[in-house]
Amino acid sequence: MKSSNPFALWRWEKMFGEWQMFGEGFLRTIEVAALALILALVLGIIFGVISTSNNKVMRGIARVYVEFFQNTPLVIQVFFMYNGLAIAGLRLSVFMIGVLGVGIYHGAYVSEVVKTGITSISVGQVEAAKSQGFTYIQYMRYIILPQTIKIILPPLTNQAVNLIKNTSVLAMISGFDLMYMADSWASSSLDYGPSYVFAGFLYFMLCFPLATWARKYEERLKRQDTARIPFEPSEEAVTC
Amino acid sequence: MKKVLSALLILCLVFTLAACSSSTGSKDTATTDGSLDSVIKAGVLRVGVKEDVPNFGLRNTATGEIEGFEIDIVKLLAKEILGDENAYELTPVTAKTRGPLLDNGEVDLIIATFTITDERKLTYNFSTPYYEDAVGLLVKKDAGFKGLADMNGKVIGVAQSATSKEAVNKVATEKGITVSFSEYATYPEIKAALDSGRVDAFCVDGSILGGYVDDSTMILPDRFSPQQYGVTSKLDSLALTEAVDGYINEWLKDGTIEGLITKWGLNY
Repeated sequence: MKSSNPFALWRWEKMFGEWQMFGEGFLRTIEVAALALILALVLGIIFGVISTSNNKVMRGIARVYVEFFQNTPLVIQVFFMYNGLAIAGLRLSVFMIGVLGVGIYHGAYVSEVVKTGITSISVGQVEAAKSQGFTYIQYMRYIILPQTIKIILPPLTNQAVNLIKNTSVLAMISGFDLMYMADSWASSSLDYGPSYVFAGFLYFMLCFPLATWARKYEERLKRQDTARIPFEPSEEAVTC
Repeated sequence: MKKVLSALLILCLVFTLAACSSSTGSKDTATTDGSLDSVIKAGVLRVGVKEDVPNFGLRNTATGEIEGFEIDIVKLLAKEILGDENAYELTPVTAKTRGPLLDNGEVDLIIATFTITDERKLTYNFSTPYYEDAVGLLVKKDAGFKGLADMNGKVIGVAQSATSKEAVNKVATEKGITVSFSEYATYPEIKAALDSGRVDAFCVDGSILGGYVDDSTMILPDRFSPQQYGVTSKLDSLALTEAVDGYINEWLKDGTIEGLITKWGLNY
């Protein structure tokens, strides 16, 4: 039983005997990531659309949001929400901070992705829609946004994967997520080897299927396109 | 599905290989146990110490040097082993980094308020304890707590890797109350959480706590389960461990350590 090898077999056995701890953290990470992803998508679509509008004030607001959250570290944002807001009297639960902090942070990135997606659709489409009497909301909803999905799906998946991994910032503010549990187990039992390898494996299990699914989905959309369009567009042109 | 499986297999293989290589690595050092000789050969004693614990190991912002009770022990050891009290190299550690730093050979010893437990003895060697301390609680004055008994349902901030969590839990169960815990990587983070009201008490070894008392906070009279600090070394560095243990025992007998404890105001 006595061994200085951080990967010794008995350390693994000891850790899997306490698997509930990791299960709890894993569940917390999934919950936070799922809600934060929804928030990031909602914010991203709203601000992405706003930043392509003709209204200068609206564009300004979107710009400030994106620049502020993209150019300050997530760690500081979360630490501020945890301690700063608490001193000011607003005590959010760590779960809420996880959802809001990570969601708002990634919303800024999603917004940029959505914006580039919209601007990549040719102006002719908007003009055609307008000539048919579509309002701004209508042509965004029915003409532009559906077309952008294919373009933005790969970078969007990157964001989703990053978002999942970034929920590990909760470990810093005692957020009881997977990373926190791994830290806690690693430092209390000194079995940091199995603990971090296993946590890494669980994060991989979350991110890898998502990335794979998005790749498959994108390929399917592309196939549907090539079926409809008589001219064969080259593969590379569509892949970002 | 096949692809996923093969990817997983490769992953498992990588981890197994990593495990194997690290185990052969430690075997090599075990057969040559030149732990003491290699320190002498290097001419410098590399020690992991705390830099955020007042009186034990705290970085003096004016000079940039780390100072404290544990640094003085490092100096004494460097003098005994290498004949020069300045032949040491300090690496700041946290509860989380000290184990890995010792394992990968970055440091020869850890002297960083490392509490000795039976479980930990399976992983590292510990010297005879050079300091004994009990866990204490730091609370806000205006919270009105008189002791742990008043803290039913409250949140207690503890340091990762610290034994204080179990210590408090045990006493809380005896008193018939339940408390929950939030773990943080460093002590200043726990203090920040106490200031912002995220935790109701900052719980750590009493002597460490002493450095964090300010106008708005106070230490409760409750003290739990004495913790013993030992000089920590790798399980296979037997020669070094024995040498260090010999010196510590000597200094415990001749009052050198007692003198240092008084010097740093650590005798409560």
